Amino acid sequence: MSTTLAPYTLPSGFVLPSIHSGPPFFTQQPSPSSRKIATDNWTRLILSYARHQKLFVLRTEDADIPGGEWDDVLSNPRINRKIRAPHLAAVIAHMVATDQAVYDPPNQTSAVLLYWRTPEEWAQVLYDWASSTGHLNTIMTFYEIVEPPVPSPLSDLPLPILRKAIAVLAKSSRAQVIAVADGEGVRFLTAPPGR
Amino acid sequence: MHRLGGVGIGAFDRQQQSKRGFAELSTELSQAQVEHLHLQLAQFRSALAHFASTNRDRIRQEPSFRHAFQQMCVSIGVDPLAGPRKGGWWAEMLNLGDWQYELGVQIVDVCVSTRERNGGLIEMTELIRLVSKLRGVGGDVITEDDVLRSIKTLKPLGAGYEVIDVGGGKKMVRSVPRELDADQAVMLAVAQEDGGRVTEQALVVRRGWKQERARAALDNMLRDGLCWLDEQDPEYGVSYWVLSAMRWDE
Repeated sequence: MSTTLAPYTLPSGFVLPSIHSGPPFFTQQPSPSSRKIATDNWTRLILSYARHQKLFVLRTEDADIPGGEWDDVLSNPRINRKIRAPHLAAVIAHMVATDQAVYDPPNQTSAVLLYWRTPEEWAQVLYDWASSTGHLNTIMTFYEIVEPPVPSPLSDLPLPILRKAIAVLAKSSRAQVIAVADGEGVRFLTAPPGR
Repeated sequence: MHRLGGVGIGAFDRQQQSKRGFAELSTELSQAQVEHLHLQLAQFRSALAHFASTNRDRIRQEPSFRHAFQQMCVSIGVDPLAGPRKGGWWAEMLNLGDWQYELGVQIVDVCVSTRERNGGLIEMTELIRLVSKLRGVGGDVITEDDVLRSIKTLKPLGAGYEVIDVGGGKKMVRSVPRELDADQAVMLAVAQEDGGRVTEQALVVRRGWKQERARAALDNMLRDGLCWLDEQDPEYGVSYWVLSAMRWDE
């Protein structure tokens, strides 16, 4: 038997890294040094896949859903291996601890929102989008932002991330949160001079 | 009875005289010989230098030619690896010193950058493959011999690079200062036979180990990060993978 670890291109065009074709990658490593390497690789893989597929939510149950949206990453049918839920939970805990994900809703540890962009990066994307589409100085509802008629980089952005991004903008006086009739709204402000 | 020097007291003088004569003659002879040798050596050096400079490109480019040249140097007691400082002549003449150092640096590069996934142990052919890739040259331009020489040049750095023979014609290069015991060497060899995988069963069946010994040895390897655990092996249930014995294509 010869095992060659090679990248694998999924039909979606996403390239799985070599380590994904290594059988022990799917087992939680008992030695701390090996576990750290594996966890770092899992973290990178999950975030880059999420970015590629625009996935925001990861649950520990995803490990056990064949054919689910995470299946291509969480299992490798070519070597007959898949990550087990407790192992995935440990990876997720690491991602939360390093600010690369956040438990959502809070007070549970089985589902996270993935920060493949940080709230700061989302803030910039949001502000760039608002200024390039002529939404400065107008009031917009959150719903209008995450479900725009024309698909935007912000389509389907989970509200908790949107709120964080707006908070970042509010801090630098580039946005103002406003209560509107049907929920929450925001007004994007022209950047103050010097910014 | 005739003695060579005659008899009587005068014979002592004569004997001493001839002894001196012989001594002088011998000094003269050996002096002549030394001069002759010096001359020969000078000729040889210039011939070698001439050879080296006219064949520089071949020496640098053709592994077999380079090997033959190095063999020749070894057999006449010249070290082509003596670096720019120690034997500037060679480095200047061939640039081989630089070549060897350069290769050494690339070996370190590969060993360090792959340490994370192989625990500081890399298989020789894999090392050569990755170094070749780094240099952007074909598969057979750099030989095992070159790597061995370059690793020798790394020795003064005290980096602890070491070549380990794991049997079956396989060699591994260790880049972390860690002792490999005999059992670990055996496990590496077993892993080589099975694409990187080692199991308790393989050690028991193929090497005649007691199960406890196999388990303890595998646990040690696991702890050192030299191998990774696989709990989903369809054949054995649990197996161990020596990452350095696996082939990485990237």
